[in-house]
Formats: sequence, structure tokens, C-alpha cells
Amino acid sequence: MPAVAEITEVVIGIVAGELGVEPASLAPDSDLRAVEGADSIRVLRIIATIEQRYDIELEDADVFGVSTVDEVVTVVRAALDGAR
Amino acid sequence: MTAGVVETNQHYDLDPAIFEQFLDPMRKYSSALYRTAADDLATAQRHKLRFVADRMSVADGEAVLDIGCGWGALTLFLAGRYDCTVTGVTPARRQHDHVVGTAATRGLTDRVRVHHGMFEDFDAPRGSFAAAAALGSVVHMPDLPAVFAKVRRLLRRGARFYVSESCFRSAAIQAEFDARPGTDFVRDSIFGNGRLRPLSELVAAAEAAGFAVDAVDDLTDHYRRTIDHWIERVAARAPQLDAIRDGTAADLTRYLEIANAGWGYTTKHYGVTLRNAR
Repeated sequence: MPAVAEITEVVIGIVAGELGVEPASLAPDSDLRAVEGADSIRVLRIIATIEQRYDIELEDADVFGVSTVDEVVTVVRAALDGAR
Repeated sequence: MTAGVVETNQHYDLDPAIFEQFLDPMRKYSSALYRTAADDLATAQRHKLRFVADRMSVADGEAVLDIGCGWGALTLFLAGRYDCTVTGVTPARRQHDHVVGTAATRGLTDRVRVHHGMFEDFDAPRGSFAAAAALGSVVHMPDLPAVFAKVRRLLRRGARFYVSESCFRSAAIQAEFDARPGTDFVRDSIFGNGRLRPLSELVAAAEAAGFAVDAVDDLTDHYRRTIDHWIERVAARAPQLDAIRDGTAADLTRYLEIANAGWGYTTKHYGVTLRNAR
């Protein structure tokens, strides 16, 4: 299981790439939907990219419920834990 | 023993000798699959097992769940032909004992486990199984969304779940016929705890559980032919059946004829293949 810091870095990289912002402008408590250029479609693309990156499937409640980078990291860790 | 077990067992816990008289040698108590006009019952039931294994995408040696394993036709087939480790579930004690005994006879004891009880009371770790089947079993389970959600949790990602069930032809037909005497007879005196649903209700429960729908096969004509064969065999074995319990042949014939009369009008029989995937 990758460490929290490592997953956080990956998630921030994916969010930054999808939304066209600098990774440095994002923090663990950044709300994905509040980032400039974010909309529900882009957030879904972020989630899909993360699922593919880690070969996991997040629960619907997580896909449509997560707000912050931290929350994404938490559900990714839970999914990785369940997949072992 | 819960009321549900008692109800279901009314029919499935009848003397096994009764089923032996009119079912095929594997004692498979669900629709066969006829490939040619000349197929006899035993041949068509073997076709069906291969078809189900194909829909389940079973690979050699995998762990498979057979919900409502009945007399064990599919359980023993997957354990014997595919080297699968199969977990069967049945609330009927006599079915449990038969499957365990047959597995021992065939040297499959290490590959066949049978949980005696309701599927609602069965549990295993998340992602335990590579495939699952429920042949004519969910009709006995009132809370379909809960059952499907549980199956999905028990399956690993990408695994398939094959569900075959007799269904009302539509929601309107269900509303019209659900309380009629013929329906009541089948439900109360034969099945107990039975709940026919339209296909849409099965699909809705599958969607709610997060399954993808891979395939829907209309097996109605196959079930009609299967039951025609059962009726023929009941007639041929009426003396033996009535020796086991007086009136058995007439009861079975009435039940089977009611079931067969409705195909295409009030009822359909579908095989639905679900996949634990996006």
C-alpha cells in the first residue's frame, strides 16, 4: 500500500493535469469542485483517471461524494485495502 | 429453523425419490437448453450447464458460488469438469445431504462445500468468488436489492453473476395475476416464500447493486420443453410416484401444467448475466 503522502502527490498531479492548474496551487484540503475550471464532468474524469491509475473501483457514494484531495486519498486507500 | 426454511422446504424437502423419478439423472431442477429438436432431457440439461458456465466465464480452478444449489447439478459439474472450488447454498437439508454425499462418491469432497441455510444468512469475505450463479433461486428471496448487493460484495472485480428466473411478463401482468388462484396454488402449495417478478424488477435490483448487465437470454421456450419432458416422465412414473406418497403424480402434473400454460402469456423465463464492473 503506497503511503498517504505518495497517493496525495499522485492525486494532486492528476487534479492539476485535468484542471490545468499548477500542482503547487493545490493542498490536501483543497476542494476539487472549488478549483478554477472544475465542473462535475471534470471531477468525474479525475476520479476515472485515479481509478485507472490504481486499478480500483470506488463506491458510488465516494465517486459522487468526495470534495477534497484528502477525502479522495482516504477512499483510494480504503479501495486499495479492500482489493488486497 | 426459520419460517422461510420451512416454507421453502415444503417442496424442495420432499422425498428425494420423488425428484429422482421425473428429473434427469443429474436431478437438475431448472430449465434445460435444447440445441436440436432431437435433444432428450438429459442432453439438454448438459447443454444448459455448459451454457451457464460459459455465461459465468468460469475458468479452471476458480472459486464459484452456487446460490440455491438444489440437488447440486451445477455445483458438481463445475467441481468435476472445471476443477472449481464450489460453494453451494441450500436451505433444504435433503438437498444439502445429497450434494455432500454425491461429492464424496465422486472424490470431490475437497472442492465442494454446501452451506445449509438461507443465502440471506450466508457470508464470506469480500471478493471471495470469481463467479456466481442463482438458478431459479431468487424467487424465494423477498429482498432482491439486498441479495444482489451482497452477491456483488462477495464477487471479485470483473466477476460474472448468472441469474435465471421465471418472471411475470410485465408489471401490468404482475398486478393482474399475482393474487389469482393458479398463482396462489403454485406459490403457496409448491414453492412457499415465492415471489415472481417482472424482468424489469430484476434489472432494477441489479442496477441498484452496481452491476453491469452483460446479457439477457430469453429461455422461455426451453423451459416449456423442459417441463413438457417432466410431465411426460411424471405420467410414465405415476405408479412409483404415488407409491411414495398418494396423489403425488396428480399434484405434480397440475403444478407443471399451470407453469407451462403461462409461458409467453403471463410468464417468461430469463437468464440474466451480470458483471461486477463499471
